Amino acid sequence: MADTAAMARNPRTLIGWIVTAILTVVVVAGFVIGSPRQEDRIARLGSSIKCPVCQGEAIIDSPSPTAKAMMEVLEEKVAAGETDGQIVSYFRARFGEAILLDPPFAGKTLVVWLLPVAAVIGGVWMILSRRRSTRTPVVK
Amino acid sequence: MMAIVGYLAVLLAAVSSVGLVITGYQGMRGTSRVGPRSFRLPVLGILLGAIVAMSALEVGILRNDFSIEYVANNSASATPLLFKIASGWAALEGSILLWGLVLAGYVYTVYLQVVRSEGQDRLGAGALLVLGLVTAFFFGVMLTVSNPFRVCVEPGAVGCFEAANLPWTSSFPALEGRGPNPLLQNHILMAAHPPMLYLGYVGMAVPFAFAMSALMLGMSGSTWLRRTRAWTLIAWGFLTIGILLGGLWSYEVLGWGGYWAWDPVENASFLPWLTATAFLHSAVVQERRGMLQAWNFVLIIATFALTILGTFLTRSGVIVSVHSFTQSAIGPVLLWFLMLVLVASFGLFATRAGLVASSPRLDSLASREGVFLLNNLLLTVFAFVVLVGTLYPMFVEAFTGDQLSVGRPFYDRMAIPLSFALLLAMGVGPVTPWRAARGSVLWERLRTPVRIALAAAAVAVVLSYRNRFLLLGILLAVFVMAAILRNLYVSARSASKSWEMSMPRSALRVMRNDTGYWGGQISHFGVAVVALGICISANLSVEAEVVLATGETASVAGYDITYVGQFTREEPHRFVVGAQVEVSRNGRVLGQEEPRLNQYGTSSQSVATPSVDESWTGDLYLSLKSIDANGVRLGVWWFPFIWLIWLGGLMTGLAVLWSRLVRKPAREKVPVG
Repeated sequence: MADTAAMARNPRTLIGWIVTAILTVVVVAGFVIGSPRQEDRIARLGSSIKCPVCQGEAIIDSPSPTAKAMMEVLEEKVAAGETDGQIVSYFRARFGEAILLDPPFAGKTLVVWLLPVAAVIGGVWMILSRRRSTRTPVVK
Repeated sequence: MMAIVGYLAVLLAAVSSVGLVITGYQGMRGTSRVGPRSFRLPVLGILLGAIVAMSALEVGILRNDFSIEYVANNSASATPLLFKIASGWAALEGSILLWGLVLAGYVYTVYLQVVRSEGQDRLGAGALLVLGLVTAFFFGVMLTVSNPFRVCVEPGAVGCFEAANLPWTSSFPALEGRGPNPLLQNHILMAAHPPMLYLGYVGMAVPFAFAMSALMLGMSGSTWLRRTRAWTLIAWGFLTIGILLGGLWSYEVLGWGGYWAWDPVENASFLPWLTATAFLHSAVVQERRGMLQAWNFVLIIATFALTILGTFLTRSGVIVSVHSFTQSAIGPVLLWFLMLVLVASFGLFATRAGLVASSPRLDSLASREGVFLLNNLLLTVFAFVVLVGTLYPMFVEAFTGDQLSVGRPFYDRMAIPLSFALLLAMGVGPVTPWRAARGSVLWERLRTPVRIALAAAAVAVVLSYRNRFLLLGILLAVFVMAAILRNLYVSARSASKSWEMSMPRSALRVMRNDTGYWGGQISHFGVAVVALGICISANLSVEAEVVLATGETASVAGYDITYVGQFTREEPHRFVVGAQVEVSRNGRVLGQEEPRLNQYGTSSQSVATPSVDESWTGDLYLSLKSIDANGVRLGVWWFPFIWLIWLGGLMTGLAVLWSRLVRKPAREKVPVG
């Protein structure tokens, strides 16, 4: 950060900082009161369940009759007030684990979540180990 | 007739490839009297064979020669001319032939460089040897398991049931062809997307060949890297445009209201793009600071291997079902080739590890090198995430028989934070000094861009766009753009003072003076525009499904959509059923739209053609879901500013032209800011 002495001396710098501070406050406020997009539940659930007769398409995207029928069931269940978990387990029980496009953080699909984390840790370690170790000279 | 010509041409290319391998080996050893001219015969043999083979297939298609199985099963006499030409590479055998043709073109350009070099070019000869091995593989495949010139021995009324591999077998032409896959004859982009993608994909073989040659010769240093930069960059540019066209095709044709679904075919094209992008950056670090030598070998081997993996994924049927690929003849062959590439190249790399062990270490993480490392970490992790997501379900199914899916929600959750981090690095990196950066210098350069980005995000907040992802996207994308423009402005200002030029002229001069750096900055600007387009269109889009009877009107995103009536149209190659829809806003009629469903020849599946009404504020996208006498069911989307994605993508890819084509100004040097 720029030094405070220079800031006090130059009014233009000071105004710059004040403006920056105001903008930051506005943006942070926007972040705090804002939220990720509130997609309606039907759209969110519909895009996380795979159409069992299509190739990797979610039921919300697929024009196939099966997908349409499943969307109708989904809409009924949402209207009946079932929770996300109940709805997902309903489809999972009927069509098997393969229809979950969002792999659960458990069981066989745990690997899919953990491998990238392991890659990040490995990568960071590799970068850190390439640093020249001048900052901690060996004192005899 | 055309089948025999084509098959012999493939044979010529295959034999010439073997010749190239032998000549390349002799040239690489440097002991015999092999000069650059010795490569002429095999290289021209490969090029000629590939061109004649592709032409023979196209002539066969254009003349409706249904004695060729490929023509009978992938084209029809009623297919429009453009789609006939495109069907030359739309199906398996033809696409492998296109692979071979593009590869032959790259071999020829490498040969031209080898000829022009002075003295013995052992590195170039070795690269030609490796390229010869790759062409030998692909033309060998075309002679055997993926022969585009198989002739029909058991014709059906439509298409061909049984074919013989050798074209001189007596053949019985089918009466009529099956025609291309409906999805592939629905839009003109299908003619341009695969060639672009292949120019990118196949081009990655060239840096791979030079890297392998350098390893075989035991050459350390950056010679191979410098010589392959141009090719990597050009191939990367084509790949970028190819991926972009793929997204545009998906948007314009598939009618599901999106451009990217993270399906395995898309991932297959994106994977080598990610590692090639990482390589373009880490190559700079090696050239400037001599670091990352081993890493660059790893990246270029990975990129080439990923192009082979991508070809395997898209061409073996493994995506439809893990078990179907063993039925396709080419699947196991491509898989073995992939294994061979990995084992041979990493094996060679391991035996030569001593060459690259002595590269200098990093002084400080807060430096240009440090940000480049961060960029490489992010891009590699990104590639790894996509690779795991694509392959893991296949592995599980292959080994346990259990089925599971990894879909869009997973990729989105991983890709969004990685992309935001990449944008941040993209804004900070290019203005960070090499070796060690002082905080005050960095802040001096970033202060203005940070303020501009904050101002842009604040405006969004005031206009009551308070979605977190949108705000973060605006903040980072505007930051990147502002950092680039500030950098240009400051450099141009100091240049205009020293050379007494006007600002625009000196800005142009600055950009022409270091085309590599500024080409990269144009590309970065394009990526920021894409990011902005994705954030806006994804977070502010409106989606609805409406059911309308004739004359009824629905209102979506401020547009009034009236169903006027149904229409049908008989075309030579398809039957079209569509809805006439009138779109108006605030009582003013904006236009008539015709979303439709197309029925192609013998295919049972109908293909939707959405109507996209484009304007500078966004696209109104109508997709016909079903239609009958009672009315229509329409998918209606409003995508604000989605053109930013196409514009930015084009800018990202075409930036390569700035680096490659723009010449440095003649005399005076301009101080670099």
